[in-house]
Amino acid sequence: MKSSILRASAVSLACALVLSACGGGGGDLTLGGAVQNVTQDGLVLQNNGGDDTKVVYPYTSFQFGNRVSTDDQFNITVAHIPDNASECHVNNGKARANYYSIYQISVACTIKQHALTVEVTNSTGVGITIVNGADKKDVLAGVTSASVSMSPVNEGSPYGITVLSTPAGKTCTVSGGSNGNGTGTMGQVDTTVTVSCK
Amino acid sequence: MKFSLARPALAFAITVTLASCGGGKATFPINVTVTNLQYPGLILSTNGMDYTVNPPATTGQDVTFAFPNAIEYGQTYDVIPKGQTVTNGTLTALGAQPAHQTCSSPTFPKSGTAGQLAKIDIHYVCAVNTFPLTGTVKGLTGTGLTLANGSTYLPVTVSPALDSANAPTGADVTLTMNPVPYGTTYGVTVVTQPTGQTCTVTGGANGTGGGTMDDAAEKAGGVTNLVVTCVKSS
Repeated sequence: MKSSILRASAVSLACALVLSACGGGGGDLTLGGAVQNVTQDGLVLQNNGGDDTKVVYPYTSFQFGNRVSTDDQFNITVAHIPDNASECHVNNGKARANYYSIYQISVACTIKQHALTVEVTNSTGVGITIVNGADKKDVLAGVTSASVSMSPVNEGSPYGITVLSTPAGKTCTVSGGSNGNGTGTMGQVDTTVTVSCK
Repeated sequence: MKFSLARPALAFAITVTLASCGGGKATFPINVTVTNLQYPGLILSTNGMDYTVNPPATTGQDVTFAFPNAIEYGQTYDVIPKGQTVTNGTLTALGAQPAHQTCSSPTFPKSGTAGQLAKIDIHYVCAVNTFPLTGTVKGLTGTGLTLANGSTYLPVTVSPALDSANAPTGADVTLTMNPVPYGTTYGVTVVTQPTGQTCTVTGGANGTGGGTMDDAAEKAGGVTNLVVTCVKSS
């Protein structure tokens, strides 16, 4: 009789110790993850409908303020998206917390893009090359006017149209865009820039 | 006489037995996949074999091959760009890399012992080399200057040099744009002018902050001659 009581209490004590070691007590896991395609403030994440967390500069990761315990259910949702995003979604955001599941979480947004068009007039007869950084478009010799579509630009991203090689003895002027000289920050609508070489 | 006949017969039997053991020994081909190879020049090397890896016929496709000789169970391999050396854990020579690119095996083991895994699959990934795009900002006293190279990256903010009393001095400030990959164009422009000043960009290959990261720029170690001159707005 004695021995069976002793055995039972010893077993239950051992169980209790194991359970508390597994995180039955205070939360010790940090919920967070990587963030992709966020370039400005405005992304707000929630866990189980609360603990609002803003994703801030440099917009590459997030971390919730409240820690969770092993086996706690977490459910990360997007409460607000940046103004320049069309949608944001959470990957692996709903699970029970453990050392594996908390490292699988990420958030990715899709940024709205807008067309960047360059209206070219070129009376020099010599071909020119127009660049927006690494985006390069050629206007062939003899083409006097053309509408050149550059690669679309993310809303809120900068752009700067320049002429890579001005024909010798001629002048190229770039105008338009939000700064008036072919540069600016992409707003909420398509943008047209003008290049005139003569 | 009898014995002398028996002895060679025994030796023959042993030889046959040994040969049958050796014949069954597993061999392991060393398979390699190279991703994003765009230029010639890569030579991969292991176990005394060199293999010249040429870019794929169709741009963007992986190149796969196996070294000419398979290795035996228990032999070690280490597939490296020929001549690559590591000294005390630091890469001291890149080895035979393709032109304008650097190939590495960052996430997959490139070395091991045959038999550790069922199959030897080495994976190399090549990246186009990038070069600095830097220069100097002159006369900057206002705040808020940002410059961009097209739309690929967020704008770069440049703050004026300050004296001990935190007043702007207008002294030269270093400009560091994001590095530019070989073969791509650049065109640096002012996105936001500083308060009370107007800045213009000069330098680069075309004299107005633009150009191509071409062979000449690669040889020079990048483009370092950008000059942004800021004057009081009229």
